[in-house]
Amino acid sequence: MAEQPLHEHTLGNGLRVVVCEDHFVPLAAVNIWYGVGSRHERAGRTGLAHLFEHLMFQGSANVAEGEHAALLESAGAAFNASTSFERTNYYETVPVSHLELALWLEADRMGTLPAALTQANLDNQRDVVKNERRQRYDNQPYGTAFELLCALTFPEGHPYAHTPIGSMDDLDATTLEDCTDFFATWYAPGNAVLSVVGDVDPEKTLEAVERYFGGLPAGPEKPQSRPGELGPLTGVRGEAVDEEVPSPAYFAMFALPTDGGDDVEAAELAVEILGGGSGSRLYDRMVRRDEIATEVWAGVTRLASGPSLAIVDAIGPDPDKIAAVLDEELRRFAAEGPSGDETARATAQAERGFLEQTETVTGLANALSQNATQFGDPARVFTAPGRAAAVTGDAIKEMAGRWLAPGGRTALTYGGTS
Amino acid sequence: MSGLALQPRPVPGPVPAWAFPAGTPGRVPAGPATLRCDLPGRRLAAVRLVLHAGAGREPSGLDGVATLAARTLLEGTEPGGGTALTAAFERLGASLYAHADLTALRIALDVPTTRLGAALDLFSSVVRRPALDDSDVRRLVRERLEEIAQEDADPGSRAMRELRAVLFPAEARAARPTGGTRDSIGALQGADVRGFYGSVVPAEATAVVAGDLSGVDADGALSAALEDWAGTGGPLPAADRIMPESAARIVVVDRPGSVQTYLSFGHGVPDRSHHDWPSLMVASHVLGGGLTSRLNAVLREEKGYTYGMRAGLLRMRHCGLFIAQGAVHTEVTADAVADALTELRGVVSRGIDAEEHGSSVRALADRAPAEYETARSVAAELADTSANGLGADYPSAYLAAVRASTPDGVAHAYRKHVDPEALTVIAVGDAAQIREPLENLGYATVTVTSKED
Repeated sequence: MAEQPLHEHTLGNGLRVVVCEDHFVPLAAVNIWYGVGSRHERAGRTGLAHLFEHLMFQGSANVAEGEHAALLESAGAAFNASTSFERTNYYETVPVSHLELALWLEADRMGTLPAALTQANLDNQRDVVKNERRQRYDNQPYGTAFELLCALTFPEGHPYAHTPIGSMDDLDATTLEDCTDFFATWYAPGNAVLSVVGDVDPEKTLEAVERYFGGLPAGPEKPQSRPGELGPLTGVRGEAVDEEVPSPAYFAMFALPTDGGDDVEAAELAVEILGGGSGSRLYDRMVRRDEIATEVWAGVTRLASGPSLAIVDAIGPDPDKIAAVLDEELRRFAAEGPSGDETARATAQAERGFLEQTETVTGLANALSQNATQFGDPARVFTAPGRAAAVTGDAIKEMAGRWLAPGGRTALTYGGTS
Repeated sequence: MSGLALQPRPVPGPVPAWAFPAGTPGRVPAGPATLRCDLPGRRLAAVRLVLHAGAGREPSGLDGVATLAARTLLEGTEPGGGTALTAAFERLGASLYAHADLTALRIALDVPTTRLGAALDLFSSVVRRPALDDSDVRRLVRERLEEIAQEDADPGSRAMRELRAVLFPAEARAARPTGGTRDSIGALQGADVRGFYGSVVPAEATAVVAGDLSGVDADGALSAALEDWAGTGGPLPAADRIMPESAARIVVVDRPGSVQTYLSFGHGVPDRSHHDWPSLMVASHVLGGGLTSRLNAVLREEKGYTYGMRAGLLRMRHCGLFIAQGAVHTEVTADAVADALTELRGVVSRGIDAEEHGSSVRALADRAPAEYETARSVAAELADTSANGLGADYPSAYLAAVRASTPDGVAHAYRKHVDPEALTVIAVGDAAQIREPLENLGYATVTVTSKED
């Protein structure tokens, strides 16, 4: 159901470009995915991909310090960037009149970032990032749960064993040379996808992209990435977290299939049926009927070159009891599979999720970059509702038995009786 | 950098014109006012129903009953119905939310336009015949008590609770948490929730529907959903209009071991119907609207004290609050407060220059097309203007006023309504480390309160 035609092109230097028209509002969304994230960091330099993302806003050869943000803010643009395990994403949604300025800004930092890199900028953004770490993780109740679970789930040194925010020690140890090396290794046009969605003329847009990005050198070959595989977890590897929290809680992580195949579609629906919202099995059992939790939630982080991850978290006075009931529900689900109604509901919710994700130019541009980067096919985004709808109850049952088996997870307990 | 060939920086043309989507007003016979907003291409429809039953209108002693009523609505139309209602919405790919703030109780439905009619049927039964059963209320009270504990552990929400408690006189509803306190929530019963919801006057409500409504009789569907809906109770008390009292104070909320201090600087301002509101929005943006704003230029980009500060206006029906806030590293807390005060005073002492004014105006006005790209955001904004008695043309008039503002006018409005020598400063952090340095600033007396109080 490729509803909006896509215009794709690869520049001589390797930059892949996707353009999609959407004329409902006079906007243009510009979105770049670089194929580098925390999984590509080396030991002792965790957090570098994300710290580098911050430096991308500090100026480049023809953009003064602070000017990138100033130009975009005064254009009424919504702009930001994010770093995850597998990629770093930069985006701005601008009035369509400012499309070429946005392209020029992205090209300048893709081509010339180190020209503006200084020790003062690095030191300042290191402080900002350390405050980001404090604000989002260290100073929040349960804030480090995801980081702790990744460290439990993956063997030490595995690319996914540490999260993008990195450690304070590694942030402190990062040097200017690390940053210039990182740029030279990963920020090449051939390791990037640029998507433009909005009130644009595709041909003129491709010409403009060629004009602004065509003069950037191709850069070196991308290094071979370390393998990220991990099978289903066996046994429960747990840790009691000694941290002051408002209430006892239980957090669990499960490995799931890597994104891209039919199996992850079924596995994600399984997690949705188990714990996605107040109509789910775990919510109904733990919160509504047994009242052993006041909150329970489950969700999936899809990963394309490592295992996808499912998280279940529940707040309640007795984490051991929560763990036991979780096992009971997992056992039942693996044995019985979902009802036809549960499958239909999860599928319908997936369709709404697709509409939410793609109805804005910003969201669609991001989805195009993602599918081009990870699966070599931006149009794959439009097949998401169909892929979910094709999943059978039997497939969900099989995935649940294999990946969401009782006793196969890592877990954190906060407070409680044990 | 061999082989590098860059182009000169392009000069953008004028920003294309855009208008806030207009709604077509109507009314359900003897029922809510309606607004229909057709947004071509938006396949996810949004319905927003606002009831004049916010926390501001809770009867005395029932703090939090509006919040609890909103939550119990989602439990369905049959006592003990369990997941039946949620499941019915899920089957349609729809979702239903409800929450209360001081101004209104808001019910929100999102659904693909192809299934709007079926979802509105369900919506209708929830609004007209909710069970509001004792057992659900009892369980939701327990969940709300847990949520209060979580909110108090979160530095940002704890700061907001304290800011309101200090800025408003104790007898004002706004001084107390919207969702109630441990004591008030713990005492609520099913009958309180049913009594409160039964007192809603349907004719005072507004229902907004937005999305690609081509081929959909949205007015007819809304009417069918909301006709013959009648209130059963006596009228709710009128909301108080007690204004915030600004004065220089520093309140430390003790959070031992905090690695950061969450700072919040607050001051009362007029409500949104005041002609200075757009100028105050521009002034807030100059101070803390983005990365290049004055607070972020100093506290983040120059000194690295924080991940980010922001300043803005909190909307209430009878007033507004100017709030500048952000989290800073514990050891630089007093320095950060001093720097922030310098910037908050700077608009008074040195005004606003044409360049930063222009930048903030464009940032506020030119981002509107992106801000209101979805049916959800358009419907929510139209519903909110209605809940605040502002009229459906308010969003357009506001954007025009932002564009028409001047640097001097903006500085003047800030000077008139925000006294930088009478700011309430909340600091949620480790009192043992930050109290003395804050006292040494000499800005105001420092008091310390515990996290749970």
